[in-house]
Amino acid sequence: MKRALSLVFILGLAVLLLYVVGNMPSMGDPQNPTASHVSPHYLERGVEETGSENAVTSVIINYRGYDTMGEVTVIFCALAGVLAVLGREKKGRIYAYTDHSKVRSSPIVRTFLIFLVPFIIMFSVYTILHGELAPGGGFQGGAVIGASMIIFTTIFGLWEASKSIPQKLRIPLEGTAVMAFFVVGVAGLIGGGSFLTFLMPRVTESLQPALVTWLTVIVEIGIGVGGAMIFTSILFSMIREEEEIVVQ
Amino acid sequence: MSTALNITLIVLLVVTALLATFSKDLLAAVIIFSVYSLIMALMWQRLQAPDLALTEAAVGAGITAVLFIVTIFKTWRREEE
Repeated sequence: MKRALSLVFILGLAVLLLYVVGNMPSMGDPQNPTASHVSPHYLERGVEETGSENAVTSVIINYRGYDTMGEVTVIFCALAGVLAVLGREKKGRIYAYTDHSKVRSSPIVRTFLIFLVPFIIMFSVYTILHGELAPGGGFQGGAVIGASMIIFTTIFGLWEASKSIPQKLRIPLEGTAVMAFFVVGVAGLIGGGSFLTFLMPRVTESLQPALVTWLTVIVEIGIGVGGAMIFTSILFSMIREEEEIVVQ
Repeated sequence: MSTALNITLIVLLVVTALLATFSKDLLAAVIIFSVYSLIMALMWQRLQAPDLALTEAAVGAGITAVLFIVTIFKTWRREEE
């Protein structure tokens, strides 16, 4: 009975959703409401208003800055939740490399990884700094740094990884994503505009393009560094217990 | 050619999604899920959204998979009937 009812409910929902999808404007149609009002403005005025050649970056960082600020805050809150439940890896305890797997990772993997990780980090720095002009940006670059730290940790263990990014360095840097957004937002208020404006009325015309570019770069770097540290901290806090031994 | 590729990608996407949902071995489910993310990244690239493709490949296939695997090793690997 319950199964039949849920099946009927799911079928009804599917029919409803398919009906709605059928009534949506077709994809890529130039007559779409989304393509006829906002998009032309972004594409035509984007470069002069936000100073970034990449339309996606200009929308994410500038036109919809509030949205991105909220997302960054959500990731920060996720880290806060993980730390509240699991706790941070403790200072004053010794991390030992305890390998629980039957097969130790081979020297080939270890040697290859030592060569690979710097290139991954170089690629992510390129993604962060070049986000204005090319696809990519702060969040993508930060996620790639986080992923490189995850690979490093899975092969070399928490002890080696937390030596290369110590807790002292991570704690202040975790908040940089949110901080960068708020600092840039308040800078907009000081410059005479509204919160998160990049075009400031109090700044002379000739300085505007440089100012907009630098504010974008600050936000990108902030999101990148903050995101990387947050992902690394979440992983360290999740795997810490197996690899900690208390000094008696 | 491009239509054939699109159809292949969508079929693979649906197959991996179903396999990840119905797999009783959670580790296998996570690995299939990261394959799903990689196919999704290819789809984003084909839909001309390289930003999303980068994010999907790094977060979906890389970070979430590892976090799920860590969680599985802290709990149980098999789903109970």
